[in-house]
Amino acid sequence: MAALPVIASGRDIRLDLFRGLALWFIFVDHIPTNIVSWLTVRNYGFSDATEIFVFISGYTAVIAYARMMEREGWIRAAARIYRRVWQLYVAHILLFVAFTAQVAWVSIARDTPSLIDEMELLGFGQNPFQAILEAALLKFRPVNLDVLPLYIVLLAAFPFVLPAIVRWPLAVIAVSLGLYGVTCHYSWNLPAYPDGKVWYFNPLAWQVVFYVGACCAMLGRQLALLDRVRRPLVVLAVLYLLFSAFIALSWHYNPLERLVPTWVARVIYPIDKTNIDILRFMHFLTLAWLVRLVVPVDAPFLKWRVFEPFRRCGEQSLLIFCLGTFLALSGQVIVSHFEESLLSQIGVSVGGVIIMCCAAYLAAWFKGGGPTKGRTPTTAEVVP
Amino acid sequence: MSRGRRRSVLWLAAALAVFLPAAAGSQSMSLCRAKPELLDLGSPLTIARKSIADRKELRIIALGSSSTSGYGVSNPAFAYPAQLKMGLEKALPGINVDVVNRGIGGQDVEEMAARMRADMEGSPASLVVWQTGTNAAIRHMPLHKFERWLRNGLTLGKSLGSDFVLMNLQYVPAVVAAADKEAYEKIMATAAREYDAGLFRRYDIMHGWYEDGMPYAQFVQLDGLHLNDFGQKCIGKLLTRSILNSLNVQ
Repeated sequence: MAALPVIASGRDIRLDLFRGLALWFIFVDHIPTNIVSWLTVRNYGFSDATEIFVFISGYTAVIAYARMMEREGWIRAAARIYRRVWQLYVAHILLFVAFTAQVAWVSIARDTPSLIDEMELLGFGQNPFQAILEAALLKFRPVNLDVLPLYIVLLAAFPFVLPAIVRWPLAVIAVSLGLYGVTCHYSWNLPAYPDGKVWYFNPLAWQVVFYVGACCAMLGRQLALLDRVRRPLVVLAVLYLLFSAFIALSWHYNPLERLVPTWVARVIYPIDKTNIDILRFMHFLTLAWLVRLVVPVDAPFLKWRVFEPFRRCGEQSLLIFCLGTFLALSGQVIVSHFEESLLSQIGVSVGGVIIMCCAAYLAAWFKGGGPTKGRTPTTAEVVP
Repeated sequence: MSRGRRRSVLWLAAALAVFLPAAAGSQSMSLCRAKPELLDLGSPLTIARKSIADRKELRIIALGSSSTSGYGVSNPAFAYPAQLKMGLEKALPGINVDVVNRGIGGQDVEEMAARMRADMEGSPASLVVWQTGTNAAIRHMPLHKFERWLRNGLTLGKSLGSDFVLMNLQYVPAVVAAADKEAYEKIMATAAREYDAGLFRRYDIMHGWYEDGMPYAQFVQLDGLHLNDFGQKCIGKLLTRSILNSLNVQ
C-alpha cells in the first residue's frame, strides 16, 4: 500500500554519531564552570544538546518500532516500547539514588555539619519520605535529572502515535505543532514537586522535537523534494545561524550586546527552555538541515576511527547519559575544590569523556560477546 | 597527522584563544559587588528587630516568582532565599533563622497578592521579601493594575504584622528590552516609601554589574531572563548584607 512509504534506512550511523556527540555535550555543559563547554553548540546559537538528543530519540524510535509493528503487529511493538519505557524508568530511579547518594557522600566527606540542610536544599524538604514517593512518580527530580522523565513520558505516548506516524507523518507534525502552540499559549505544564513547580522540560512542548524527529524518519522523499530549492534554503539557514550565533556571543561580550537593537531584543527574549522557544526549535532544525547536507549518510569520513568513540557512546545512549549526569556532579565538586582552575575544568572534562567512552566500549563488548565478533549493531537497528 | 587535520587543529586553537578571555563563567564571589548606597533598604525593619531581640528568632518568607523558586539553578541551595538563610545564620549566631521559600514561577503581583494571606498564615514571619515586577514588565501588565495589586498586597501583608522588603526587577536582556520597565520600578519605589517597606534595588545593582563590564553570561541564564548560579548567589549575598545593615548588625 502506497501509504506505507519508505522507513528511513536502519544503517544511518550519523544517528549514533551525533547522539554520542550530544551526550558528550550534555556532560560538559552540566559542569557549571567549564571552559570546555565552548566546544559545544549552546554558545553559538539558541539550541543546545537537548534538542539533538530528543530529536534523534524520536527518529530512531520510528526506525526501531515501525518495522517491528509491520512485521509483528501493533501489540508486540507496543509491548516492546513499554519494555523500553520500563528500562528508562529503572535507569532514572537508579540514577536518582546514585545522584542523591553522591551528594550525601560529598557532604559527609567534607564534614559538613549541616548535612540534613544540604539534603533539604537538594529538594528533599521537610519530608524526605514524600520526596521519595514523588520521585517514584517522576514529579520530584533533583537538578539535571529532568531529561529522562521527559523521554519516559514521550515514549509512553509513542505506541498510540506510531500507527499515525507511519501513515500520515505530515498530519502528525501538524497535530504536534498544534499541541505545542496551544501549550505555549495557555502555559500548560505537568505538575511537579514541591507544589507550584512544573516540569523543567515541559513534555507537552518538547514533544514537538520528538515527533518532528519521528516523522522525519518517514519523510525521506519529501525532504528530498526540498533539495530542489536547496540554494535559497541554505542561504536562509546560514543567515539564521549567523544571527543566532551573534546573539549567543553577545551574552559574552557587552560591546556586541550593545549592537543588538532594542526591538530585536524585545521580539526574541526570553528564549524559553521549559517550553522550547520557537527560536530554539528553529535553530535546531536549521542546524540539522545543514548537517544533513554537509554530512551525507554515505560520507566516508563517518567511518573514520576518530569518530568511533562518538558512535559507541551514541549506541549505548541510556547508559552513557546516566553516567554523564552522575559524572557531571562529581566534576562540579572537583572543579570547585580546585577553585575553578582551568586545568581542573579541562582535566575533569577529558577524564569524564574517557570514562564514558570506556563504559560504552565495555557495554558493547558485553553485548557483542567480545570485540572479535565484530561491530555491534547500531541503535537504529536494535532498540533506541 | 595529515595536513588538513593539522590545519583544523590550528583553527581550533585559534578559536579557543579568541574565546578564552570571555569564558569566565566563574562562581567566584570576588566579582559580586554593589555600590554601598544601593544596599540601603530605607526601612529600619522594626518588627524583625523586635523578633530578634524578644524571641531570638528571625522568620522570613521569600514571596516571589521564578527568581525566588530558583528556576534553572544547578542546586536549589544557590537560590537567593537559601543563600539568605545561610548568610543570616552565619551573621546572627544564637538567633533561630528561617527563610521559607514561596516562589512560584510565572506569577506576578496579582497571583502573589491573592495567595499572600495563605502563605503568611501558614508560616508566620516577621519579614516578607516580596520579589515581583519582572513578569508584569515582560508581559506588559497595565501599570494601574500592577500598582493596585501591589498596594493591595502591601496593605494586606502589613495588616498581618510583618515587615516588607520589595525586591524589584532583574537587569537581564528580557527586562531591559521591555518598554515600561522604569515605570514598574517607580511604582515599586513609591509604594515602598508609602508603606514603610524596604526596597532592594536589584535592577540598579545588576545594572552596575553590566556597566562594570560583566557580560550577561556571567549572571544570566541563556534564556536571557533568569539569574544563573552566580547571579542568584550574589543577589543572596547582597540581600543578606542589606538586611543586616537595616537591622544595624555588622
